[in-house]
Amino acid sequence: MADTLLQIAAVLIFFSIVFGVLRLIIGKTAVDRVVAIDMLTVVSISMIALYAHVSGRFLYLDVALVYGLLSFLAVLAIARFLEKGP
Amino acid sequence: MLELLVLLVCGSILVSGFLAVLLDNLMAAVISAGLASLFAAVSYVLLAAPDVAMAEAAIGSGLATLIFLYTIRKTNGGKE
Repeated sequence: MADTLLQIAAVLIFFSIVFGVLRLIIGKTAVDRVVAIDMLTVVSISMIALYAHVSGRFLYLDVALVYGLLSFLAVLAIARFLEKGP
Repeated sequence: MLELLVLLVCGSILVSGFLAVLLDNLMAAVISAGLASLFAAVSYVLLAAPDVAMAEAAIGSGLATLIFLYTIRKTNGGKE
């Protein structure tokens, strides 16, 4: 049961990264790219957590924690920059 | 299963590096460079180096993007 859920999570993470990178490539405006990088941040945090469970090393969860604490900063700065204009 | 994810992360680093070089819009290039360092941090975790990944997440993805944005604002977006 747990293995099935982990495989489903891996497949979902795979397709999320594929479509996020596609959105980044064909994104017409900068706002599309900002949303794509925000989504890819959340997906990579879940990928690190999945790998921490699969490999059995729970030290990796600290990396996901630091990433979740710090990742909103770049998106916040970009959003503030886009609102104010260059 | 996991090897496919590692390959996807490495391919995403390659794609976003190319985009950071090739895009004309400076804003989009900075976002692509941030994405390259984000996936580099994930690949460091997959290569069993969590301390390097933590430093890359703090410096490469957070601080470098902020400094690039500050520079774009100071230099008027690269226009004359």
